[in-house]
Amino acid sequence: MSVMRMLRGLGGILLMLLTWEAIVGSGLAVYDYLPAPTAIAAGLPELIYDRGVIGEILHTVGATLLGWAIAVALGMSIGALLGSSRAARDYGLTSIELLRPMPAVALVPVAMLLFGFSIQTELLVIVIPSIWPVLVSTMRGIMTVPDRLEDVARTLRLGRVETVVKVLIPAAAPAVLVACRLSMTTALVLAVVAEMIGNPEGLGYAVVREAQALHPDLMFAYVLIAGMLGVVLNAGLVWLGRLMLPGVFNRPSAIAGSP
Amino acid sequence: MAIFDLDKVSLFYEMRTGAREVLHDLTFVVGEGEILTVCGASGTGKTSLLRILAGLMRQTGGRARFRGADITGPADGIALVFQDYSNALLQWRTVARNVALGIEGKNTKEEVRGRVAEALGLVGLQKNADDYPWQLSGGMQQRVQIARALALKPSVLLMDEPFAALDAMTKATLQDELLRVRLETGASIVFITHDIEEAVYLGDRVAVLRGTPGRLAAMFDVDLPRPREQVATRELPAFLALRHKVHDAIGGHA
Repeated sequence: MSVMRMLRGLGGILLMLLTWEAIVGSGLAVYDYLPAPTAIAAGLPELIYDRGVIGEILHTVGATLLGWAIAVALGMSIGALLGSSRAARDYGLTSIELLRPMPAVALVPVAMLLFGFSIQTELLVIVIPSIWPVLVSTMRGIMTVPDRLEDVARTLRLGRVETVVKVLIPAAAPAVLVACRLSMTTALVLAVVAEMIGNPEGLGYAVVREAQALHPDLMFAYVLIAGMLGVVLNAGLVWLGRLMLPGVFNRPSAIAGSP
Repeated sequence: MAIFDLDKVSLFYEMRTGAREVLHDLTFVVGEGEILTVCGASGTGKTSLLRILAGLMRQTGGRARFRGADITGPADGIALVFQDYSNALLQWRTVARNVALGIEGKNTKEEVRGRVAEALGLVGLQKNADDYPWQLSGGMQQRVQIARALALKPSVLLMDEPFAALDAMTKATLQDELLRVRLETGASIVFITHDIEEAVYLGDRVAVLRGTPGRLAAMFDVDLPRPREQVATRELPAFLALRHKVHDAIGGHA
């Protein structure tokens, strides 16, 4: 059943590529720089042998993961603080609500003025927008832990640390992990954007470089690689979630979260 | 010595519209080894009473004592079972690790393993140790919660309408299991319910709460032979007579 579904999904992709190939090949669409899928595929070896694509991938993955990790650490700690303290919410929530809707890309020139063309620029652009989903979910997650679980912790006479570690954090974890995945997607997008404008390295820079060198086949190949990177990172995170919280992530209603 | 000793216990909630009285001048004791069932309609303060006994909430008037000492917080030797098992269990922990929650920090690994196995044995869940709560039926989840309480080796079990969310057949089975567990462990039990038949069937005594604020309307001795039996006991004239009296004391509708 699921094999059939997977085959149908792959069939859909194949159909799309064939249509693309046919449109370009038949001269139906006349763009100078729209290569056919076969031409893009033919460019892939060049990426590996002449362009050092492995290094470029590693740079983008590294920046994404590092920025994401910083964002998750900051988001979880600030979110936990806001979730567990009324006073912290009174002082902090307004600023967060003001900062959160700011368009992420608007940060790029700001970061460039501060740090120039550098990895710091890239990280700043990645980190700040990636904090929000984690921060908000952690705060909400802790605020909505059922009162009953607090009763249970008290009557079992668990200490404060034991309660936080064994009850509150795991109870909030499903929502937080979903937010971590969202945050990873944001981080990858912003890594590529930052590399296009603010830090001439990695896949984002490679896309711009090939476009300016009038190598549309290579440019598309890089775009494709960046897209696949997103899929792989997301799948890795889902796998990690299952590994860490088997009781939560294998149940049918894992996303809904409520028992 | 009495397990619990309540002397004119009252409870006020501070609300924006002023104070509201929930419990009014409750005076009674719970004896060693007895099952006291507390029966009353909704809004008579049954759950508040249990929370005071459990040390989760402080009374605002009168004295509440556990084994002679004023109740200031959750005490050693008392275990609670809540009605809403799916909220009360940690859904991300296996059955065995749920049962271990209250004892794992304070005992050696072997000791914990032994006590978890023993508690699961008491409620017939040995085979489900590695399942997650959400994989079990409601009745089995409630058994997990009871096992978690029993693993503490409590001298007192406080139960807040533990079987109210279960179907009639599961309820009857668990009632009999509870009576058996009581025989095997010797624990005293305070059992809150709004089900009159359940109150009479399980109890050594039945306390009836009535009105808002809740007052102790009556206290009945249950003079029925043990072991109790789902069909035969419920057919005894004494059972029916007591059911009638409790019904009248509650106020005719519950």
